[in-house]
Amino acid sequence: MPFNRTKNLKLSTIKQIEIRASEYPDVVSLAQGIPSFDTPPCIKRRVERALDRGVVAKYSLSPGLPELRELIEIMLAKDNIYYDWEKEIIVTVGSIEGITASILAITKPGDEIIIPEPTYTSYREVINLAGCRPVYVALDETKDWAFDLSRFGKAITKKTRAILYCNPNNPTGTIYTKEQLLGLAQLAKKHDLFLISDEVYKDFVFNNEKIFSLAEVPELRKKIIRIFSFSKVYAMTGWRLGYLHSDESVTKEILKVHDSLVTCAPVISQYAGLGAMEMAEKDVIKFNQEYKIRRNLICERLDKLNHVFSYVKPESAYYVFPKILTKEKDSWKFTLDLLDKTQVALVPGVAFGPSGEGHVRMSFGRSQKDINRAFDRLDEYFKNF
Amino acid sequence: MKFIFKLTLKYYLKYITKLVLLIHRPVIIAVAGSTNKVFVKDEIKKVLLDKGLSVRVNPKNFNTEIGLPLAILNLPSGYNSFKNWLPIIFKAPLAIFQFDFPKYLVLGLGASDPGDMKYLLTIVQPKISIITDITQRYLEGFSDMDKLVGEYEKLADRTKKNGLIVLNYDNIRVRQIGRKNKKATEFFGSQNGAGWQAVKVERGEQGEIAKVSHNGIIKEYKLNRFGRHHVYSLLIGLIIKSSL
Repeated sequence: MPFNRTKNLKLSTIKQIEIRASEYPDVVSLAQGIPSFDTPPCIKRRVERALDRGVVAKYSLSPGLPELRELIEIMLAKDNIYYDWEKEIIVTVGSIEGITASILAITKPGDEIIIPEPTYTSYREVINLAGCRPVYVALDETKDWAFDLSRFGKAITKKTRAILYCNPNNPTGTIYTKEQLLGLAQLAKKHDLFLISDEVYKDFVFNNEKIFSLAEVPELRKKIIRIFSFSKVYAMTGWRLGYLHSDESVTKEILKVHDSLVTCAPVISQYAGLGAMEMAEKDVIKFNQEYKIRRNLICERLDKLNHVFSYVKPESAYYVFPKILTKEKDSWKFTLDLLDKTQVALVPGVAFGPSGEGHVRMSFGRSQKDINRAFDRLDEYFKNF
Repeated sequence: MKFIFKLTLKYYLKYITKLVLLIHRPVIIAVAGSTNKVFVKDEIKKVLLDKGLSVRVNPKNFNTEIGLPLAILNLPSGYNSFKNWLPIIFKAPLAIFQFDFPKYLVLGLGASDPGDMKYLLTIVQPKISIITDITQRYLEGFSDMDKLVGEYEKLADRTKKNGLIVLNYDNIRVRQIGRKNKKATEFFGSQNGAGWQAVKVERGEQGEIAKVSHNGIIKEYKLNRFGRHHVYSLLIGLIIKSSL
């Protein structure tokens, strides 16, 4: 019995695949985007100290612990991003709550939000939940999944309220260039649109170049909402912690929604966030190095299956998004068949938007051992194709 | 075992640091308070460097019984690893021979439990002490607000007799510390009565624009940061600049 608000919502394809995969006893999953690492010990020690001091049992202020927000401002300043921790930074329950609160705050039912795709599956559901309509704009696979600005221009209507993008992009691992982003900003300015920039993978970059963010541009601050999460960078997916920032005129409205939804982010996790930002820098460097090794490993293994897949080498995040070269182009059928025959779980590309059809997402957040186990099975399965 | 190691390390670093300070005799500027210490330290560093003076600032969380000496000696932390601590322990005395030891040390001092400030002040005696603000942020370690304020009063008491105390006039508990102390004191803030007063603050596209009044003269400053706390940092920087 679907309810009016939930009738257009779907359980995330990634979770559906994980549920199916759990039925197979010897499954190797490269589906869900979970880091294989445990939360670094320095973060756990910070949490232990907070527990000992008895400071985690009560709510924090709705926008978050002042010391955490102040630290976030300090860290942002290192990336040339300047926001006032007192009024412009909100600590959220992961990035998805930040995105949800932002969309609920800035839109009204019936509005349209443009999503460059293929991209993160849950954007669509959040937009639907807000009573808005997702409008897909295809990324250009022939140009390594770059923006094609002319396609954005064509997608904008009177109902368009925002452009929501993920940079670096999940599932393609693409980093949008400064020129592409400034072009997008110009378009947004012309049509008075918000830009929601989800930058949860910004610390995993394999060419050591700093990622440009439109939040660095002071003139855009009233129109950009930048989202970040502790989940991936500090191996803290289970802690559910993130933050967002924008101009005071925007955050004061988002804060009302955030307060209505969750009151505040879990205080114990906020202390974990303090430990992460204070002490886990070396761990992040270590994770990044390991992901680069895994990226190279998975690309080497894909190269050996070049009769089955072609791919764009990811520059960031921990996903690769190969194109299926076999007769079966339906990515759902392909992944279900693969799961059944090889017990390797992948995510069908169609989950990430229409342009994702004919592709699969593979996560190299898993260990090298898991990657090798999965590809040994794929090699065996596809040797006669 | 861990407790004994930590205790030994604490006193080892303390006495090495005291010896280093005795030999090099840097001017110590202490920055304390519940908020804004990092930005204030950055502002002071900028002012000192602009004057061509050498300066060392302690990193954010190096403001405790072990972190403070490490910052003064310019050493990293070994955190929870005994192996990492060994080279640090050996390197600590070498700070005595640092030829480029800075003329100024700008040190954030942390007070999250009773006695924290008293201990830190057995290591350093500031020439200039700044109290940015006192809020309920670290109150959980204290039985009441008076006890927390008492920690900061110790800082004012321990400041050198010919030194300077810089206080936030907008916070009444901080303001009162000045009344209890007879040392030279400068107040900053936005309220009437502050010697260095932000009489008008507006938000520009690139950051805050502040009009600052001092001795009847009003000057405008354009910052590339957003937030009232950056205006406070500016005022503190101006006080330090005028005191050099």
